[in-house]
Parts: sequence; structure tokens; C-alpha cells
Amino acid sequence: MQGLAPYVVRRLLWAIPVLFAVSVVTFALGRYGPGDPIQVRAPRADPQTIERIREHQGLNDPVPVQYMRWLGRFLRGDFGDSYRFPDRTVKSLILPRLKITIQLNVVALMVVFGLGIPLGVWAATRRGSWQDPLTIGTFLLFSAVPTVVAIPLLQWLFALKLGWFPATGWSGLLSKAAVLPIIALSVGGIAGVARFMRATTLEVLGQEFVRVARAKGLPESAVLRRHVSRNALLPMVTVIGLSLVGVLEGSFFVETLFGIPGIGAFVFQEVQGRDYDVLMAITLIIATAYIVANVVVDLSYAWIDPRIRLGESAAA
Amino acid sequence: MRDSANRLLMVLAAVVAVLVIAIVVVSVVLIAAGSSGGSSASPAKSNSGPPAAAGNAFRLGGSDPLTLDPAQSFDVDSARYIVEIFGGLVQLDKNLKVIPDIAERWDVSQPDAQGQVTYTFHLRKDVAFSRSHRRVTAADFKYSWERALNPKTNSPVADTYLGDIVGAHAYEDGQASDVSGIKVVDDSTLQVTIKQAEPYFLDKLTYTVADVVNKDQVEKNPRGWTLAPDGTGPFILAKYDVGQQLILEANSSYHLGKPAVPEVRFDLAGGGGLTQYQAGEVDITGVGINDIESIRDPNNPLHQQFQESTALGVFYLAFNTQVAPFDDPKVREAFALAVDRDKIASVVLKDIAKPADRILPPGMPLRSDAVKGLSYDPARAKQLLQESRYNGKLPRLQLYTSGAGANADVETQAIVQQLKDNLGVDIEIQQVEPATFLQDAKRGRYAMWVAGWSADYPDPEDFLDVLFYSKSKQNDFRYSNAQVDDLLVRARTEQDKAKREQLYAQAEQLIVNDAPVAPLTYDADNALVKPYVKGFFLPGMIIPWLRYISIQRG
Repeated sequence: MQGLAPYVVRRLLWAIPVLFAVSVVTFALGRYGPGDPIQVRAPRADPQTIERIREHQGLNDPVPVQYMRWLGRFLRGDFGDSYRFPDRTVKSLILPRLKITIQLNVVALMVVFGLGIPLGVWAATRRGSWQDPLTIGTFLLFSAVPTVVAIPLLQWLFALKLGWFPATGWSGLLSKAAVLPIIALSVGGIAGVARFMRATTLEVLGQEFVRVARAKGLPESAVLRRHVSRNALLPMVTVIGLSLVGVLEGSFFVETLFGIPGIGAFVFQEVQGRDYDVLMAITLIIATAYIVANVVVDLSYAWIDPRIRLGESAAA
Repeated sequence: MRDSANRLLMVLAAVVAVLVIAIVVVSVVLIAAGSSGGSSASPAKSNSGPPAAAGNAFRLGGSDPLTLDPAQSFDVDSARYIVEIFGGLVQLDKNLKVIPDIAERWDVSQPDAQGQVTYTFHLRKDVAFSRSHRRVTAADFKYSWERALNPKTNSPVADTYLGDIVGAHAYEDGQASDVSGIKVVDDSTLQVTIKQAEPYFLDKLTYTVADVVNKDQVEKNPRGWTLAPDGTGPFILAKYDVGQQLILEANSSYHLGKPAVPEVRFDLAGGGGLTQYQAGEVDITGVGINDIESIRDPNNPLHQQFQESTALGVFYLAFNTQVAPFDDPKVREAFALAVDRDKIASVVLKDIAKPADRILPPGMPLRSDAVKGLSYDPARAKQLLQESRYNGKLPRLQLYTSGAGANADVETQAIVQQLKDNLGVDIEIQQVEPATFLQDAKRGRYAMWVAGWSADYPDPEDFLDVLFYSKSKQNDFRYSNAQVDDLLVRARTEQDKAKREQLYAQAEQLIVNDAPVAPLTYDADNALVKPYVKGFFLPGMIIPWLRYISIQRG
């Protein structure tokens, strides 16, 4: 593990040019694209007033100048002000929504992996019997239903017909209103994770060391737990790591159809409103999360499997 | 295979499988039952009355405000809350008449040599800000209006509503340190001089940008003061959870009388639709096109809770009068006569909007009955197109509309079909993402598009002058008629109501005949209102209405 610290530092230093590139592209896409935040906010304001506001907010300056000004504020920790919500800062708009999206998606991810991993292992051990295709098939069937179709069905069944949960709304994670969105968010993922886990488990089951373990006379449970699962889980680390980023992005459909004030539905409105600074902030948060997640995934590989040498492989 | 870990997995999987199978079975059964027996469960719920926990709060759906700063508000979603939290010199009553708010009464001078007119407002002495309880004085109005006009505030509306005040433009351009036309005589007397005698000036002052704000609060926390705004309205913002709920509390010292409901709760997440209304989660709701027919059915128990009324808004097909083929008035007139607006309103829109045969919507003050509206006349339309300089042959045209869906709305599709059937014109619908649409329509990039206008203040000037005066910045049709311009200019300062109505009638008739727009539908509002909600009405505009509501159960 000698090369670890320099490795991490190197990877994180790489983040700077990556984030810079992301910010330049996002900034340019917004400013050079059609539409104007002031016009959208105040469609009936007269052109002179719009021009005055644009001038005052610096939107008439050359784009590189605007970018440098934005960068200067950003580096000082100021995410700027919203164009669409004139009396709100970007931070105050994003944070409450991000909080809700994270809560919801973390629970959904726990459900996805908590059910998907054991299901996949179990299905692998049942290969050749009817139980394997039944479980995997059932979940695939559910994941094959598009969210936009599944959500109204869920609402109709559990809210309108059975009245167990409210159809829409949000009153915190620990409320009935969170149940349906979590189901909608996790159903698709369970099938994917289970299938992936099943495939890697089967691969490991066929390997020589498993036969050796069995030949030693280990009970099958110990073989599965100590030898199979651990090795089969290794590729899953990448999946988990990168799924964690999705937690920040939220889901446009789930949030919109359930009326959840999260970041997914918000981003869509903000794109329509050309709220440049808010979009910049969200893009950079997600880009940063991807970079961090990748580093964390690599580090956990090294930790789980000591044969992997990060420093050397990166230097090579 | 018979050990503990494996058994655990088996149990887990079994539980999931059972759950999944249960869900599948239940849905199949319910779908089958639902399709054969019809729905019976949901309407029953509506009769069970409100949940006891609701107390005496008035509950309704709502959207997040973009801003709670009166100087910034431009949209319905923001104005709805601001008119309840803040107040100004005057406000609109139920009948859209200007009534005193903080100003007790006012005197209007005769026009002076330059035509300028001075309003002297006498302020009530018992008005205080709702949070700080500081008395509101004339100086607060001078501060609030100058703040709104100050370019640093970036208000998109201040110039439209306060720009008629003498010295406002000089102040906006940074040439004066204050607005010379706003004078504080003493604590309870404010003098405002405007450039010309506009009868609609007081109407303009009902807009939120003229509301009074508390200088101490704004200057202390310029970026966050609207989180707990200190206004003078009938309600106080008690709680606002973004995307979740907004709660207004009655202002017990409100100078026009304490509101009857102690609390108003807006559900921002659920949207307050029919489902929530039936479940007793909200006390009023609007009805959309999908449910309207069942609600209008007199046998529906909800029918008796239903109200409809027109609103001050119009929706139209707009033409760029400077580009082919709409530079020929005959083509525009042909299009206007070839649209069956009655059919669109009643069949396509199921009467959630009303057919519009002219510009001014019903309910607008000074709307003269003398104006002859457009009729549906496909034969005459065809003839006009023949007589036009395009000899009845038009190239394939584009109709632009704002939207992001895969299909344009049913209304636009119906219009295109009617124009094709009646005039043989091929029209392609182009849906444009809203931000781009606004910009392109303003820049004159479209020959024909769908748009609408709704009242900012209840005066014909807000429709006819703002949209069709040749030099108006909102005249996206690039329409110019010297006779119309003359009538509109004279109407601006005509003090005699009957004469003013007549001038607008003449102008509107010319505009309808010239057809820079082909009116399609007037906006309408509707609502389902629980029987225990008293005092509800559909005002047709955003006005402070919550103070008229009371909840009387049992």
C-alpha cells in the first residue's frame, strides 16, 4: 500500500482539469444556447427593462468575462444567485432539494442491493431448477415496465383503490408518502443487481478454489459465504460506487409524478428557466461526485483484494 | 445446502416472491373488478367529510412561488401569496374595483399646464407592519417605490407600473437621486405626480410592485428577507418548506378586519388535485379537462360543489403582419373566419375555456357591447383567401407553439385541422421549448404562433393599448394602424367613462377587423368547493381573496 497516498493525490489533482472542462462546457452551452433567463422569468417585461436587467446582472458581457467572474465567485465558495428565483441564492435553492433526493435514493439503493445481492446469489445456487428463472424472470418483468407506466399503476392501486399510501406529496422520509416512490425507484434496480450478482456468482462457483474448498469438506454455507460471495462481490463494488452518484441526480419521472420536491424534477424546470448558475452548481456537484466515487471504488478494490496495487498500475 | 446462511437467503427470497406474487394477483383482480363493475370506491370517500385533524385551517393546493418580493413578482404563482402577505395604497375588491387599503382616501388634481396630475393620498394612521408592528408612513411608500425602480433591484415590472410617475425614468437611468414625483408631505400624506391624467393609474397601483416593504428589514438582510417578510397584508407567512407546504397565518391586527380563517395551508407537493379533494386533503380544487364532464353531470354528488366563471384572459392565433402571407389583411381575416371557435371551446376543450370572438374578455370593465365579434364563416374565409394577393394558394406554413411534449395540445391540433379543411392550407405545428419560443416570437421569427394575454389590471388599456398600439413593446404582431393608434392615445387620458368606453370600442372593432390576431378562447376558472367553505368566489384575477373566506362546519 506504499503507493496509495501519491495515487490518491494524483487522482484528485486530475479532478481539477476535469472539473474545469466540465464547467467551461456547461457554461458555454448555457450562454451560447437560445433563450434568456430574464425573458423567461418575465415574459411580458418590455425589451428595455429586460436589457437593463441583463446589463446589470452582467449577462451582456462577453461570455469569457462572465465565465471568469463566475469562476472567481465559485472559488470563493459563492455559488451565485438564481435568475429565476430573484430573492434566493443558489445554495438555498439546491440544498433542501438535494437533501430530499439523497434521503430517498439512499433508501432505494439499500433496498436494491439488500434484496438484489442475496437474490442473485440464491438464484445462482439454484441454477438448473425452476426457482432460478422464476425469481430473476419476475423481477425482470417488473423492471421492464417503464417508470412512467409503473408509477400511475402504483398510485392507482395503493393510493386510490387501497388507500394505503398518499398518491403524491412529500412529508419527510419517515412518512407513508415515501413508500411508493421508494418502490418505484428500486424495482428496476433489483433485477439488474440480482442478474449481475447471479452471473458473477456462477463464474466464481465454477472456479477451482471453490472445488478445493468443497473437497476440504467445508460445509456449503461456509463455501458460499467465505469463498464465493466475497469473490463474487468484488465486481459489484464498481456498481455500488457508481450508483451512489445517481443518488445525487434524482429521478425526473419519480419526483415529478409523485410531486417530490427533489433535485431531479427541479433541474428540468431550471433548464427551462435558463437558470445558469443553479445548473452550473448542480452539474459541478455531480461531476465532483463521479470523480470521488471513482477514486473510492479504486481504493476499495485495493482494500478488498490486496493483490491489486493501485500506485503501480497507475504509474505503469 | 441445508445450512443456516443458505436458509436465510431462501427465506428472504421467499418473502420477496410472495410479496411480488401478491401484488400481481391483487392488481389483476382489481383491474378486472374495476373494468367490469365501474368505480365505486372513490366518490364514496368525498362524502365522509374532512378529517378532524384539519381544524379550521383552509387548505388548498399551490405551487412554489418564484419570489416573495413584491418588486420582483411577475407570475401568478408568486403573486397569489404576495397579495395576501403585502399590501399597498389601494387594492382590488371582489368586483375588481379599486378600494382603499393603506390609503384611506385620495384627491386628484386637475391636469396642470403640462398635463401632469397629482394624487394626494391620505394614509390610515392605524397600519403597522405585521411582524415588527412599526407604523407604516408615507416615507415607507417612497422608499418601497424607489427601491422597486432602482436598477439595482432588477425589477422586471417596476417601469410598467410605476414608470408613469414624474421623474421615474430619470431615477431609473441614474440621473436623479430620487423620484421627484413622489413627495412625502407628512407621515400620513403622500403626493404622487404622474405625467398625464391616466384613469387607470390607481388600477396599476394594485399590482404587487406598488406594495409597501419594510426598509429596516430589507436593508438588514437584502438576500434573505423574504423568508420572513414583514408586510401589511391580511396574512403573515408562518412557514414555507420548499416544495412541501406554505402556511399563512391570519394577521390579527389587519386594518381592514382580521381574516375569518386563522390559517391557510397550501399543499405544494400534492398539487391539490381532484384526488386530494375527494380524499378530504384540500377544501377547494380546480377541475381539469379530463374530469370536467363527470363533474358537470348533475347526478354526480360533486356537481353541487362546482363553480365556473370567466377570467380576464384571452388566447389567440397571432400573426406577424409584416411577413408573407400575413402581410395581407385578407389572409389574416380569412384565417380568423375559418376557425370554429365555438366548436373548439365546447368540443375540444369541453368548455373549460369559452369561445372568444373579440379581444376584450367578458367581465372587463369598459367592455362595450357595441363591438361586433368574429363569426365562423368558412365560405367567406375561402373567398377572402381567393381575393388576397396570394390568390387562394398558400405555401406550407408553420404554426409555432410553446411546449415540450411529443404532441401539441389538442386545441392547436384542432385549429390546424380546421384551417386545412376550410382553406386547404397545409400547416405544420412546430413545438418550441418555452424559453426559445418567447425570444423568437419577440424577435419576429415566426409568421404565425399561438399566444395569450391575461390582465395585469382590470382596464382595457392593458389589452388594447399594450398589445396593439404600434409603438408598444408588447406588439409582437408588428401591427400598425394610425387610426387605432389615435383612438388608443385619446382613450388613455379620457376622463369621461362613457366616452372612454366608446373610444376603446372603436379601437377594438378596427383591431378585430384587421385581425393581427385571431381570437380563439377566453380563459375560465372553475372550482370545486366543500360546502363548509363560505364566502368563496372566482375573481378572474389575482386579488387578496383569502380574507373573505370562512370555514363553518356542522
